[in-house]
Amino acid sequence: MKTQSTAIGLLLNWRLHLIVIIVSVLSEWIGIQSIPVANAKLLFLPLFYSFILCLFVNPNITKFSNKIINKKNASIAAPIIVIAILPFIAKFGTLIGPALPKIAQAGSAMVFQELGNLGTMLIAMPIAVLVFKMRREAIGATYSIAREPNIALISDRYGLKSSEGIGVMGVYVMGTMFGTIYFAILAGFLATTGWFDPRALAMACGVGSGSMTAACSGSLATAFPTMKDELLAFAGASNLLTNATGLYVAIFIALPFSEWFYKKLSGEATSKMNKGAN
Amino acid sequence: MNANIENSIEAKVEEVHLSFRESLVVLAVVSIVCLASNWAGTGINPIKALPAMLIIYGMIFVGLLLTKYVRIGFPAVAWVSLISVLLTIPVSPVSAAILSELKNLNFLSIVTPVLAYAAMAITKMEVDLFKRSGFKIAVISILVFTGTYVGSALVANALL
Repeated sequence: MKTQSTAIGLLLNWRLHLIVIIVSVLSEWIGIQSIPVANAKLLFLPLFYSFILCLFVNPNITKFSNKIINKKNASIAAPIIVIAILPFIAKFGTLIGPALPKIAQAGSAMVFQELGNLGTMLIAMPIAVLVFKMRREAIGATYSIAREPNIALISDRYGLKSSEGIGVMGVYVMGTMFGTIYFAILAGFLATTGWFDPRALAMACGVGSGSMTAACSGSLATAFPTMKDELLAFAGASNLLTNATGLYVAIFIALPFSEWFYKKLSGEATSKMNKGAN
Repeated sequence: MNANIENSIEAKVEEVHLSFRESLVVLAVVSIVCLASNWAGTGINPIKALPAMLIIYGMIFVGLLLTKYVRIGFPAVAWVSLISVLLTIPVSPVSAAILSELKNLNFLSIVTPVLAYAAMAITKMEVDLFKRSGFKIAVISILVFTGTYVGSALVANALL
């Protein structure tokens, strides 16, 4: 692993942290809001506002924000996220610990919902291949939820410059930009429909990254305040399990299946058709 | 596809890795940010929430140490999570004490700054990729996210 040392001064750039503090405090003050939609509700959490507000002061997105913070100082936020998520992970663990006996009771549901991830491909792959006429990018884009371990696997198998690599990076970028918010909205919405056991929705929250899990289970906890601790614990445990087993599900089940499924859908005869990007 | 995208993808993969010391310094700053956010969200002042934050800091410190010295491919998130789970399982002697302090730290309030950093971290390459093939990828991504979430929820729902 390459360790590129970063000047501490850059990491401590006060502008970046000050922006984050101001935006977080504002967002927390606005607090949780909801809009009724038919029989369900759309929940809006402070973490949405902080994300959206910061998009406006990101110098890569809006021009005027260059005056507030330059691109170099903004880019240092990337390695900071990795650290910033840890307090949340630690807090999450303290919700899982006390609930461990309850989680053990849900054992088989917990383990097998990991395989529910494969549902991804059944819907997304046909649309990608048949409707959007995507080539092998479709494999990268739809074989998984495209988080870091999934990128690592694609990069290992095909290389990131390959069509598969472009596919996985595309969904990764979307996930980074909007995935967290989308999961929170989706979970909050499904919660209010009453179609699922709240604990099932909580376990499903664990499928993605730490921040996706956080936002998603936060929505659920807001929708079911009386079950708050239990739901957060289930989501956290599921995410822990995903971290532990996700890569193996991807290597041994998801990726081979998506190769096979892609060939079926596209009628591709040879498995190596490079440069199929356009 | 465009060579531009490919180059920038490579640049993206060559991410900056923080050293152990840098991580601890960043963590201290992030802790202050979290205390401010927690204060605004819950009204619990930073002095009252400080013990909780220190406990969290301690857990992460040990987690980062383990990540550095026990190289079995476990990422920091997994170590930190494992430590905090083990410290708070019902049989743990420190469980009650930790839990009563950590009540002062709201779980959603410490996520709010993470999303702020995430939005600040979006790069030119990501904005470009979004502009260029945004629509197709956006639709596919939504299908991927929905499929994964609903798939897992259905399986869990059936087995509960």
